Formats: sequence, C-alpha cells, structure tokens
Amino acid sequence: MRVVFKIMSVLVEHVRADLARPHPVAAERVGFFSCKVARLADGGLLVLVQGYHPVDDADYLDDPRVGAMINSDAIRKALQYAYSHSVAMFHIHAHEHRGRPWFSNTDLAESAAFVPDFWNVQPQFPHGAVLLSRDSMAGLCWAPESRKPIRIGDFVSVGAPMILVRESET
Amino acid sequence: MNPRLTSQSFLGETSDRILARLRVAVVGLGGGGSHVAQQLAHLGVGHFVLFDPDYVEASNLNRLVGATASDGDAKTKKTTVAERLIHGINPDADVMLVTHPWQEAGVHLRDCDVVFGCVDSYSAREELERVCRRFLIPYIDHGMDVTKVIDRFVVSGQVILSSPGELCMRCLGFLTEDLLAQEAAEYGAAGPRPQVVWPNGLLASAAVGMFVQLLTPCHRDHRMVEYLEYDGNAQTLNTSNRLAAVRGKECPHFPTPLDLGDPFWPKPEPPQRCTK
Repeated sequence: MRVVFKIMSVLVEHVRADLARPHPVAAERVGFFSCKVARLADGGLLVLVQGYHPVDDADYLDDPRVGAMINSDAIRKALQYAYSHSVAMFHIHAHEHRGRPWFSNTDLAESAAFVPDFWNVQPQFPHGAVLLSRDSMAGLCWAPESRKPIRIGDFVSVGAPMILVRESET
Repeated sequence: MNPRLTSQSFLGETSDRILARLRVAVVGLGGGGSHVAQQLAHLGVGHFVLFDPDYVEASNLNRLVGATASDGDAKTKKTTVAERLIHGINPDADVMLVTHPWQEAGVHLRDCDVVFGCVDSYSAREELERVCRRFLIPYIDHGMDVTKVIDRFVVSGQVILSSPGELCMRCLGFLTEDLLAQEAAEYGAAGPRPQVVWPNGLLASAAVGMFVQLLTPCHRDHRMVEYLEYDGNAQTLNTSNRLAAVRGKECPHFPTPLDLGDPFWPKPEPPQRCTK
C-alpha cells in the first residue's frame, strides 16, 4: 500500500530547530506528530500532519546507551492526545546528516514496541514513526488493515519551495 | 538534464526532476485551463489529473487551445483535447482524465501537489480552495470576466495563489458572501459568459509563473500567497492593493490547527468516478 506523508514546511523547520535544542541528560530530543488521514484513489493512505508535540524535558531518562530514552509519562501523554483529539500519532526524531535517513536497529525495535500501543486508544487510525535528516525524511507507517510497518514512500513538504521526496525515485 | 528542457536550465539543476515528479490537477479545461495544460506539458510536468465534464462546441473554438473544428463536430471531450495536446508535447506524461464533475471524483485531487482552478463560478472556486486546504495543496486560481458598464465593456481578471496556512481568497477580498449569494440567486439565469483568448492566455501564463516560482530552485523570493489583478482595458497586470493591506495577517477562515483529512474517517466513502 502506498503511503503519502504531507507536512507544512514551516512546521518541518520548527521541528528541526526544536529537536536540535540541547537537553541536560539526553543526547537527542524526540516528539510526536498528530495527524489526520484520508484514503487515496488507489487505496493508499494520505497522512496529513496537524501538529507537533515535543516530549517534555522532565520526561527523558538518563540512559547513556541510547540518544534519547523517554519515560512512560511521555507515552501516556501522547496516547492521551491521540484519544482526546481523534488523531493518528507519528513519533519523530532527527539524525544530524544530509541525504535520505534511515532508522537504526534500536529505533526499529523501539518503534515496533510502542507504535502499536496507539491502537489501544485509536484503533481505526494508522500510526508510525518519522525520521528527519537535515534535508530529507523517511518513515514507517503501521496501518490498521496490515498491522505491519509499511515504508512511507512519498513525503511532501508544503511550502515555498515545495519539497518532494519520492521513494521510487531516490 | 532532459535535452528537451535545456533552454530552461536556469530554473535550477534539479528543476526537470522536480517537475517530472509532480502530480498537477487542472480543474476546467476551457479557455484558461487548456492554456495551463499546454504550458505545464512544455515545462515538463510528469503527471496530470484533468477534470472537465464538457465536450467541445463550435462556440469554444475562439479560445480553446488545441481544439479543432472537427472536435466541435465530433463533440470531443475537452479532457481528450488536453490529453492529446499534452502527449503531443511530452509522450511520456502520465495523464488521468476525469470526465465527471470534479465534486464527484474529488478523491483524485487528494495526492496532487498543486491544483489549478480554471472554473467559472465563485462557488466552485470556494469549494476547490476548501478541498485544497483540507489536503494541504497549494491552489492557483485564475479567471477572467467581461462586464458591461453603461456603454462599454470592462475586461478584468485575477490570478491568485492560495496556500495552506496562508491568507485565503476571502482574506484577499476576492470571495465575499455577497458575491456568492448573488451568484446563487442568479443560478441558471446567466447566458453564455463572454470569453476571449488573449486574457485567458495572459492570465494562464501568470498562473504558471506562480507555479514555477513555487516549485523550482531558481527563485529566491518564494511566495506562498499572491494576488494579481488584470485590467484588460488598460492592459495591465498588477499585484492587488488588497494583498498589500492584509499581508502578514492570519487567516481567520481556515484557523489552526487546520481541519485536515477525511472528516468521516474511517467510514467507507461513496464510490468515486474517473474514466482513465
């Protein structure tokens, strides 16, 4: 199934700046996108980012084994937001390089562990994880019908200039 | 770079790749939309979704780019004329034709990167802008009008770029409740609207110019909202004073957080239609 992920460019820049802020104990920051969705004509999925929710400073754990470890409060707040606002949730973090990024093995294992939890509060929505680099993005989407992660094929950053990342052409 | 596009290499090293990736909708393939479709094909746009339920009539031949007298006789669909025009320029272009009213096949707009509105009515413009905001699509509207004022005709028109998160056509004063109400009251009463080829061409070119500045790397002053007003009697096309007056303000008609996506998700939608 084709998945298209759309976000406003101004929000992407805001998120990049926010994730780059230093934290007292964590080496990197993370957050969540709240999203609305729609079906595409070919049966694919359109994910539209509505808002950004950074993890609170107090919700990071001091764990030198990973760049960022968040506590259960951070997950609970994200679950609560998804439940209260009827939205899909996508975890977001950034890698500090140029070009198309991809998840580390730790990222993949962690995402596979917590993303499906969002179906406990919003079972009808897809949820997932998105990764930013300095000039590109990548992601995985867990759709309710497949229950397995699907690579997000198309990213569109809506702004001036528009930025398009098409998986099939990279 | 594609050898066919070397003359426009100043648009940026990656411009041909960007344009080839784009999926662009043209809603309305009449006097304005036919010009837009032709220019987008020349530019190297790779994917088209063309909407128009009408067929060519003899009265269209004064302005419909690509249409021939035999199209009028054969009642050829306007979408078919545009497809023929596009494939004559770029045989590799992917072209989808929607020959039903776009409102019955709106699902085909959803993953378009840009939508050109080349429609006649204010209400259709408002509907298109709403759909584009819901699916985070920049919308470029253009159109012309001829009105009789006392003993002479006034030729006017507009080109507007309306982007998600920015000022909308109501903010710009182009769409008003009075205009929409007046149009609704006159529904079915209006005769054929005067249309001529040169303002169509001029306004379509300006619309495509906005599209190019939005998409290609050569422009440094990228703008997300624009409003050009055409005075066909004075032969001028200028930035609207209204835009200068409201630039930088927040749009109260599409407030944040934006109302996005399918409002009925995950209920199944009614079947949507297309021909190709």
